[in-house]
Parts: sequence; C-alpha cells; structure tokens
Amino acid sequence: MDQRTAGLNIAIFFCQQLDVNQDKNRRSLEKELGPRIRFFPLPCSGRIDPLHLLRALESGADMVYLIACPEGACRYREGNLRAKKRVRYAQQLIEEIGLEGVRIEMINRTAEMPDDIDAIARELLARDAKVSISPVRSNAILSFMQK
Amino acid sequence: MPPKYHIETSQAPNRFQKITRSGIIAWEEGCLKCARCVKKDCVYQVYEKRNLDDRQMLDSLDSVCMDCFRCVQNCPNRLIHKGLNPSYKVLGDHYWTPEIISGLWFQAESGRIPVSGAGYGGPFSGPGFDAMWTDMSEIVRPTRDGIHGREYISTTVDIGRKVMSLEFGPDGEIISPAPPLVEIPLPVIFDILPWSPPGDRIPLSLLYGARALGTFAIIRQSAINNAVREFLPNAIIYVDGNPGGLNTQLLRSARIIEIPDGEGAIALQERLRSMNPDLVVMIRMKLSPKTPEQALTLVAQGAEVLHLVADEYGLEEGKDPLFIKERLKEVHLYLVNKGIRDQITLLGGGGIAMAEHMAKLIICGADAISIDIPLLAAMECRVCRRCKEGISCPVELDDVDPVWGSLRIVNLMAAWHSQLLEILGAMGIREARRLRGEMGRAMFFEDLEREIFATMGKRG
Repeated sequence: MDQRTAGLNIAIFFCQQLDVNQDKNRRSLEKELGPRIRFFPLPCSGRIDPLHLLRALESGADMVYLIACPEGACRYREGNLRAKKRVRYAQQLIEEIGLEGVRIEMINRTAEMPDDIDAIARELLARDAKVSISPVRSNAILSFMQK
Repeated sequence: MPPKYHIETSQAPNRFQKITRSGIIAWEEGCLKCARCVKKDCVYQVYEKRNLDDRQMLDSLDSVCMDCFRCVQNCPNRLIHKGLNPSYKVLGDHYWTPEIISGLWFQAESGRIPVSGAGYGGPFSGPGFDAMWTDMSEIVRPTRDGIHGREYISTTVDIGRKVMSLEFGPDGEIISPAPPLVEIPLPVIFDILPWSPPGDRIPLSLLYGARALGTFAIIRQSAINNAVREFLPNAIIYVDGNPGGLNTQLLRSARIIEIPDGEGAIALQERLRSMNPDLVVMIRMKLSPKTPEQALTLVAQGAEVLHLVADEYGLEEGKDPLFIKERLKEVHLYLVNKGIRDQITLLGGGGIAMAEHMAKLIICGADAISIDIPLLAAMECRVCRRCKEGISCPVELDDVDPVWGSLRIVNLMAAWHSQLLEILGAMGIREARRLRGEMGRAMFFEDLEREIFATMGKRG
C-alpha cells in the first residue's frame, strides 16, 4: 500500500536550491492533500536541526523526509553532509523512545530524479508505506497538521 | 481650528515568525566549547530567546536577528554562516516585492516609519510610481517645533459633490441645494480585497480599523450580516447585486454607498438618494483608456464621486495598459480643461503599496485613495495568493482576531499618516486637499527624459 493510501501524514523538509520555483510547484499537491502534507523549505539542507525533525513527528507527522542536493553538489559545500549526520542522530533518538527510525529519512537527489519538488514528493508518496500511522499522532498536539 | 488628528499606535506583535532577508544558512559541527561564546555576546539576546515555531518550522534566530554579523565574525571556529534567505526572495511578485511586503509588516507591527540607516543603494528611477519625484524644497525650512508638534497640517479630505457657487434668497438665506459631503481625516479608504481567505474575520478587522481611524471600508452588499451591521457608519456598501435587495433601514443608516458603473448608474444614484437624501453615492469604474470621456459624461449627468480602480498592479484594462498614475493624471487634467474638476471627488485605487504612492497619486489628481493588499499585508499576509487557489493560508488569516487585525491596520495607517505629513511638510503644503493635482511640484521621469534627450540626434 502506498503512503497516500495508507493515510500517512507527511512532512517534507527540502533544500530550496533543488527547485527555484518550489513555491508554485508544490501548490497542486498541497491542494490535493490539504493538511496531510506539509512542505518546509530550507535555505540549505545544512540548516536542518534534529529538533525540526522531532518537532514534526511530535506534531502529527507519520513520515518526515529531508530532501537534499546530491553529495558533493551542495551550494554551501558541506550542508548536506552535515544534514546526514543530524538525520542519523534524530533517527537514533526516536529509536530510543520506541519509534521506528525509518520514520525519518534523508534523500539525496540523484540525476534520475525529477527536478521539481512536486514530482519528487509524488514519487515519495507512491512508495510503499514502511510504517503505519504514528502512535504519537493520537496524542499529538497536531499543531501543524491541523491547518 | 478642529482638534489635531492623531492616530494612537500600540505594538501589535506578529503571530507568525517573519520571513527575513537573511538567515542562518548553516551551523557547522565542531563547537570548541570556549568560555566566552559569541552567542552570549549577542546584543539582541537572539540566542537566549531562541525558539522554534512548529507551524512553520521557522527558527526565531532568523526573525529576531538584526544582521549585525557579530556572531558570524567573532566565533573562533567560524561555526555560524549567514546568507540571503531564498524564502524572502520569492515573497510576493515583481510588483509586490519582498522589500514592500516586509516594510508593510514592520509598519503594521510598530506603527513607525521604516528607516534604513545604510543609505539608499537602489536605482533612482523605475517603472510606475518610481518614475516620479516630489519637490521637497521646503525641507530646508524646519518649523519651530516640527510637523508632529504644534504645526498643523491637515490630512482631511471631503468625499462628495462640491458646490461651485451659492445662490441666496431675498432674505439672505442660501437657496442653492447643498449636496451631502462626508469628511474623512485621512485620504484613505479601505477597498474590497482582491482575494482573501473566506470568513468574517478579515472584513471585521477592516471595519474595526476604519472605525478607529474615522474612515470607511467598502463592503459588498452580499457580505452584509449582523456582525457587520454594527459598523455601518464606517462602511461603504458596494451594490454588487440587486439594489432592490437593500432594505430601507440599511440605506438610511449608510453614509456612503458605492454602485458599479453602467448605463443605469446615474438613475440608480438618484433612486438611492431619494431614499436617503444625506447619502453620498460613489460610482466604481474600472480604469481604461475611455475613462476621461466617461468621467466627463458622468460628471455632466450629476455624478458625485468617481472611484477609479486599476488592477492589483496598478494597471488599467485593455491592451498595452497604462499605469494608474498616468491615466489618473489624464482624467484629472481633462476635467480641469473642461472646467468641472472641482465639482466631483476622484478616488484612485489599485497598486498602491507604500505611503509615498498615496501622496503621488494625490499629486496626479486623486482627492483620496483606496487601498487593498496593504491591509492584508498588515495582517501578515505574504501575498502568496494561496487562498485564491483554495490552499490553506500560511499565516492562518482566516483565524485572525479582528481586534488584533485592526490594531495592525491602525498602526500601518499611522505610519502612512506620519509619512504623508513628512511629505506635505517637506513640500511646504499645509493641507492634503491642496496637494491634489500639484503636478508642478513633482517631476516625472518621462518628461525629464523628453526635455533632455528629445533634441539629441536631430539634424539641422
């Protein structure tokens, strides 16, 4: 079952260098899925903080993605390498509290992947759901998924 | 002399983190844990007050930072990197630029005039209102205690048809009919918004704001409900449906009503007037190349107020559209040449984004202006137009508290009022009414270019 059918709430953090027209491109998906998908553009994936990822899970996301530029192609040289370490750290933290580490995933864009955020996000949604609805969600503050 | 018009402001903090021009791009791992961390040295205590807005995942580090770059320079291990924020660059569009939007946010939050300390680094002219300069020659003559002190500069304007001469009866009584006139203390009315999230809260914010300022907000006839009814003395009802649907009581309590331009406009004006003789009727016209002729016909037929509206970029209808300031100048001068300009009130709206645009449009011939998008921006709108496409608003405008919204609008208008006073003071003009059509006190880029370069390249 794909992630859309599984009813998962998705939070996508992404580097804005990937798609300069991200603001326009992501609108059709936002309209289709409403509060079930939230995009958080970052100036560089190196701006991510483990807190961002945890806060997204806490407030109702079932899957949190970080989409970054290909390794070696970061505009700020090492942003995506630093992001990788932080994602790994955040995964460890959620595993410690009994959540599946795969709920947080980092994706480095490859040459085969489309270059607009809408198409990338649609590919992610079409993937098989590796997790079910998050146990945190029932108690979540749902602050960002409500809107 | 009437009491001085003063707008009381109060700090109205943002509900959401601002999108700022620059932001922290990266934190490198490798903190030396040195005893005197640069974060502690931050004079704005940005790092101490740090929090994360989980609705937008925006860090307060970016929105509170004042870009002094002290932390970036002084960190011994160069851990903090700042750069231009790409989200700022994509705010708004080519007309509603990030600088304009963030300027409106600042004014709405604080009620203060935005001042940039590092000089002006931009070009000296541009399209639209940027191709116009006002004569600030009187700026060399500061008044004894300033334009915000005892010096009285009036920003009051009148809306309605003006009487050109008075006729007296045998006993000295005035026998010429006096058409109704409404005075507003600020040459601004709030127009119908081109787009906004649905619900009552935004129109209510506008009405609360209009009441606090003593001006008016235009509300569609179809949007009138019990919540709005309380604000009728500060509402201009726009008849967008069947005028027969307006109940008599509503018409009697209204002071101004707006009707669309069309064949029956003057007949409708008379009909409404017969129901309430004190009513001022405005005719809303879309700006087009035909406007000067249409305006002339309407004035001859007895129109009182013409509200000339351009689109949200200040452009008129049709192919190769002119900018509002050019067309309004033409309408004004056409009516002046016909000798009837003083009989009516001209309102101009569309594309007014800054306080200087208000003064510039008045110089081009408007008696007062109407604004729309700046009112939304005052309530933190990012001019993304998502609501227009049915996508949720990133700053939850549909949930806005009308009291907070009106505070922000009042603050914005206070800042615009102060800037209008500055312009009037610097021009040596003591009344907004006298600023109207003062084209001799302004320079237009096209005119200067023609004067200087027209003769060049001509032989003989």
